[in-house]
Amino acid sequence: MSGHHHEGYFDPYSRVESPVHNLPAGVKLFVALGLVVAVVSVPVRLASAATFFPAVGLFLIGVAGMSFVPPSFLLKRLAQMEPVVIGAGLLALFQPGGVRVFVALLLRTTLCLSTMLLLANTTPFPDVLAVLRRLRVPGIFITTLALMYRYLYVLVDESQRMRRARASRTFTRSRRGAWVGAASTLGHLFVRTGDRAERVYHAMCSRGWK
Amino acid sequence: MHVPDGFLDGKTLAAAGIFSGVGLGAAMWNVRRLSPRRVPLMGLSAAFIFAGQMLNFPVAGGTSGHLIGGVLAAVLLGPSAAVIILTAVLVIQCLLFADGGLLALGANVLNMGIVDSVGGYLVYRAVFRLLPGDRHSARVAAAAFAAWCGAVLASMVCSGELVASGTAKAHVAFPAMVGVHMAIGLGEAAITAIVIATISKTRPELLDERAGADRTGSGGFLVYGLIVAAALGVFVSPFACQWPDGLDHVAKVIGFGHREVERRSVITNYQFPGISNLRVATAVAGLVGTLLAFAVALGLSRVLMRSRAGTVTAGDEPALSGAAP
Amino acid sequence: MFAGVEVSLVDVEPAPAPASDATAAFAAIEARGLHFHYSTSDGSIHGINFRIEQGETVGLNGPNGAGKSTLLLHLNGILPESQNARSSGGEVFIFGQRITPKNLYEIRRQVGLLFQDPDDQLFCPTVWEDVAFGPQQFGVSQAEVQRRVKQCLAQVGLTGFEQRSPNRLSGGEKRRVALAGVLACEPQVLVLDEPTSNLDPRGRREFKALLASLPATKIVATHDLELVLEICPRALVIDGGQLVAQGPTAELLADEPLMLAHGLETPASIRR
Repeated sequence: MSGHHHEGYFDPYSRVESPVHNLPAGVKLFVALGLVVAVVSVPVRLASAATFFPAVGLFLIGVAGMSFVPPSFLLKRLAQMEPVVIGAGLLALFQPGGVRVFVALLLRTTLCLSTMLLLANTTPFPDVLAVLRRLRVPGIFITTLALMYRYLYVLVDESQRMRRARASRTFTRSRRGAWVGAASTLGHLFVRTGDRAERVYHAMCSRGWK
Repeated sequence: MHVPDGFLDGKTLAAAGIFSGVGLGAAMWNVRRLSPRRVPLMGLSAAFIFAGQMLNFPVAGGTSGHLIGGVLAAVLLGPSAAVIILTAVLVIQCLLFADGGLLALGANVLNMGIVDSVGGYLVYRAVFRLLPGDRHSARVAAAAFAAWCGAVLASMVCSGELVASGTAKAHVAFPAMVGVHMAIGLGEAAITAIVIATISKTRPELLDERAGADRTGSGGFLVYGLIVAAALGVFVSPFACQWPDGLDHVAKVIGFGHREVERRSVITNYQFPGISNLRVATAVAGLVGTLLAFAVALGLSRVLMRSRAGTVTAGDEPALSGAAP
Repeated sequence: MFAGVEVSLVDVEPAPAPASDATAAFAAIEARGLHFHYSTSDGSIHGINFRIEQGETVGLNGPNGAGKSTLLLHLNGILPESQNARSSGGEVFIFGQRITPKNLYEIRRQVGLLFQDPDDQLFCPTVWEDVAFGPQQFGVSQAEVQRRVKQCLAQVGLTGFEQRSPNRLSGGEKRRVALAGVLACEPQVLVLDEPTSNLDPRGRREFKALLASLPATKIVATHDLELVLEICPRALVIDGGQLVAQGPTAELLADEPLMLAHGLETPASIRR
């Protein structure tokens, strides 16, 4: 049900110079949270549809403009996520008054999605981690998030290389069967991940980690 | 199954949040004595599960499904580690990719991080113990079936959340979501089976439970079991009764016409064969689906573990170690 | 494997160390009877003895599977505490202090290890955090950590890279950040595993110059025999887990039969 569109570098614009980027991460997180809460809580009526939601929309567009993130990039990302929302939203249609529910759903979800996209692309993740650390999130969780963020690209890259190597050696014509090979590759990837984790452990200990 | 913001209402988010909070707390408690050697493995495994979730497979009708990986993580690293890892994956997906809502994190963690991983893991343990024969094949079969169960359970809780929020009606949400996930679950089962089988053939010592990343004791399992039961109780059972009513409604519309339909009839006597037939039919469908999934799991383990006796099947890559000694 | 081949152990008298400092009399690294067997025998070592004096730069050469990495991992106490050991033994002394499970923290302050794959060593989300990791673990004050990070990044020529993510660095840059992270701990001994592998010619040249400029005692395990010739006056040859030769680099590498017998070759620059 979810869309995974993470080819290439993720958050490529998170370190651009802009007024929005220069705001502290905590502020941006707080504002994003506030916006999402507001959008989700305010009931969709004629009045709010004419004032509140457009206001939020305009605010987001303003922030996007000031962030110097290319609008085409933001729109493309938004477009990637919308089919999922629409698909899930279809469930809402099959009930009395379903169309209104569907429209409200679409409106709210799109606004929240845009908020999160802006947040993701104006806030480098290490800064988010620093905020979480200040919020006393347990150490093991922070370490897991940090290591995951660091090795995400490494592992995805590794798995793609393995898949390409395998694909160049197998001769199945059916693309539908490709996922079986991919699953086997995933198994090998876990073994390599385990080995790498051991080496990272050695590297951490070598520099005094206890 | 990543639910975006806007689909769930306040009370549902609160309830789901409380359940996940308790589950996460239990998980943290269970890994508190984690050996330092396993700490990097948590982070790297989270990256691994993320990579795994990018895998998509065809489901009937031209659509594709994605791996959740909760049961896979639980079998490989332990249930508490799996909860933490899946939560980390969901947090990163939300904050970096806007995949899954921010407020909805509580629900997503509950569905995928707890109900799928731990609920599935409980099934895995039970089935693994009960299945006779070679432990390695039994593990593949148990993991595959557990993966299917986990996916289905998660979809049930997710549907329940949608219905409780008024986003969808029970008679639409449940059959659609759970039905689809019974099919997607087969993919999850197959992928989980293939991964476990591959590891079994190349580095079986990694699957040794004593080398596991966490020490979830019976207390931990009790907590997890309670959370899963509570989630099912709160989100699923109030609506499960309505399915046949919804189906009745559909039946009436379509034209089984002359049968009288009465809501909440506890007495299933032959005066209202409409209801009793539909309830029974739903139950039978569920049972058949489950048995089918179990058969698929057993079949998978037979096929995949046939060549376990040391031979490497064509197309397998050798396990390359990192640094050359 | 190489049974029947005459192996010559070339012993060199180390220059006498000045006796003024208490630790000055000790070798920087001394290994006695080191052995370690993996459950799969690949990379195991047995009966390793050698001395490396303070300030020396020594090369460690040998074919794949000879045990180079295994040996290096003993020099800061990573091994023998591993799960894969079938048996282990022997001793390693750093400045006269024997490595024991109790003093690993201290040993690692003095011995820095540069791993073969910089991705294994750069485990923090940003360059700054990675270089700062070591000093922070060793209890250095925040102000001093800042200073060291700045200095070490400057030393490896990467000033301004503090906020970069390791994912976006080139191979050479990653290597240099890894080295900066090790240098930030201010070790007196540097152990380097394949420092120039996967570097382009310019990266290799720059890294070689960098290494040559470091005053620490160095042991460099590498396949890059030109590198050994250029920066290591003395070299050790290891094969099949055993030390089969040691001596002045030029002599050792020019000994063609020796080189070929142990999976190496005489570098083109000194081949007649």
